Amino acid sequence: MLAFRAYSWFLSRRLGLALLTLWGLASLVFLMIKLMPGDEAQMAAGADASAAQIEAVRERLGLDAPVIMQYFSFLGRLLRGDLGTSIVTLQPVLADLEKVLPSTLELVFIAMLLNLAVAIPAGIVAAYRQGGVFDATSRITAVMLGGMPAFWLALVLQYVLGSVWRVVPISGQQSYGMASPIVTGAPTLDALMALNFGAFFDALHHIILPAAVLAALFATQIFRTLRASLLGVLRSDFIMAVRAKGATARHMLVRHALPNSLNPVLTLSGTQAGAMIGSAVLVETVFARQGIGAYMFNAVAQKDAFAVLGSVMFIGTVVCLVNLVVDILQLLVDPRIRAAQLGSQGQ
Amino acid sequence: MKTVHPLPDAASVVPVRQPLISVDKLTVDMPLGRSGSSVRIVDGVDFTIGVGERVALVGESGSGKSLTARALMRLDRLAKLSGRVDFDGTDLLKLSDRDMGKLRGSSIAMVFQDPMSFLDPLMTIGDQVAETLRIRGIGKAEARKRALAVLDELGVDRAAERLDAYPHEFSGGMRQRVVLAMALVGEPRLLIADEPTTALDVRVQDQVLDLLDDVSTRRGLAVLFITHDLGVVAGFAERVMVMYSGRIVEDGEVASVFAKPSHPYTQGLIKAVPRIDQDLNTLYAIPGAPPPPLARPSGCPFHPRCDQRFDRCGVDLPALQPVGMSRVACHLLDGKGA
Repeated sequence: MLAFRAYSWFLSRRLGLALLTLWGLASLVFLMIKLMPGDEAQMAAGADASAAQIEAVRERLGLDAPVIMQYFSFLGRLLRGDLGTSIVTLQPVLADLEKVLPSTLELVFIAMLLNLAVAIPAGIVAAYRQGGVFDATSRITAVMLGGMPAFWLALVLQYVLGSVWRVVPISGQQSYGMASPIVTGAPTLDALMALNFGAFFDALHHIILPAAVLAALFATQIFRTLRASLLGVLRSDFIMAVRAKGATARHMLVRHALPNSLNPVLTLSGTQAGAMIGSAVLVETVFARQGIGAYMFNAVAQKDAFAVLGSVMFIGTVVCLVNLVVDILQLLVDPRIRAAQLGSQGQ
Repeated sequence: MKTVHPLPDAASVVPVRQPLISVDKLTVDMPLGRSGSSVRIVDGVDFTIGVGERVALVGESGSGKSLTARALMRLDRLAKLSGRVDFDGTDLLKLSDRDMGKLRGSSIAMVFQDPMSFLDPLMTIGDQVAETLRIRGIGKAEARKRALAVLDELGVDRAAERLDAYPHEFSGGMRQRVVLAMALVGEPRLLIADEPTTALDVRVQDQVLDLLDDVSTRRGLAVLFITHDLGVVAGFAERVMVMYSGRIVEDGEVASVFAKPSHPYTQGLIKAVPRIDQDLNTLYAIPGAPPPPLARPSGCPFHPRCDQRFDRCGVDLPALQPVGMSRVACHLLDGKGA
């Protein structure tokens, strides 16, 4: 019971902090709108609007009020989930995001899984066999992948795997006639929910290459961070004590070395989740996928201010949430952080 | 509580013990960075420890005593070992990693210097003590029960409630008991204690020594006790081996070595122990410092610091040879003219 209270106190503190961060981001976004060249009323009314129409829009959007009042009503609209209206789709930005977001989250989720599934085992083996053949080759690979621009990697893989060897499709998210009834908007998930396994594997087939490209960039960071962290932990005294108990290398690595080197990896993957949504802009464009990336790309290209800013707010929210999850995970891994954050109640 | 060891008089017969571990020409080479070359830290060490015998290994920092101890369990992954380490008739250096792993913790166990850094900060005390058993396939409940029994035996108060506590919630002395419990729970026959009292304050040092004394007597446990504290040696061990620059220079019964040290280095060490009736202004120290392993002097490695050296000392390396009931590596024993 005490532990529960300590946890909920910790959670409410962190949630408060996340809200504060989002408020800061919202204020920044508001400032950006105000500082952007061009007349908002003009932008909202469209390029062909007459002076009278523009004035009508100005009045309707409250743009004739003092800036400080506009700021408060902007925050009020945000709280009600109103991100403004896109001048391209003429739909509320939130409704647009609901359509494109599941596809992006699906891409980012699979990319994150690929990222961790490749980088963590590779980091463990490279650190345990430091200076060995695997260590050398994986480090060289990491430097090469890390130094490669994402669009270039995407284009090369599209050409080699999609065009020359023809093992994966080079664009889109599913084949014609494979669409399942839209429930979530994420093709793999929708196919799974419709129990349409043909469509499920088709969607996976389409997502694997873009997800791999997205994962590659981030996997090099996780690999290097984990390897460095593990090398330090493997040199520490308690690892020798664990070996002295007769533990196998596998037991020592999985039960002791890995948990003790996980903290920087958790922190990094938290920031990566946000950066991945940002990088999705590129990958979705190159692979002609729907998603927040493609949406933002078009919004920027067409100077659709509210669409851009709505997307920014949204990505900010996701980053805050992911970091909250990371904070909780770190709490679960390390009893010392638990003691410091939860106080004696948490014990 | 402290056990007093009666000093054996010179005429008493040395009890013949069944040898538990015999080390023969053990060398330990450590790699130098990634250059591929290596440096010999332990240079041909021979000794035997009998069943239930308590032996102290003494030497200055860098003499190779810790690496010798770790070599017995093959704990340093980077170290290259050669020679023989016979335990119960099997050469440990020839065992596969898997078989060596089976011996660690169950036949030979180790207690370490700093109890904080040798405990995993993320695992509960109970799990860490029980781990030695869990690795060997013993069920969770049974392992926990036995871990609790050992912690109780070692005087960890409220052990049952504290099985689920983490290392940072324990005091230094209690942590050392936990480390000791981790070593004893597998019921080893040889316990290697690598300076287990060095990081503790004096009062706790005494408690841990008494505990070690108690447990080894009760269990008939052989102990190799590594230390640079001669006071601890006198109170705890039956035999003492003195190490210098990677070699054993003197090995004998504690009482006779302390009464009549044969090697000039041992003489210096004993002379350097401060005494309560001594004028503090005249504390003795052996002049100079031990040579780095890469720049060992020719001949006897101790000769540059030795106040009794003569011509031969800079040329020939003295072998460890029997002198009475001890073994000593020094040319003085052959006489200066020889």
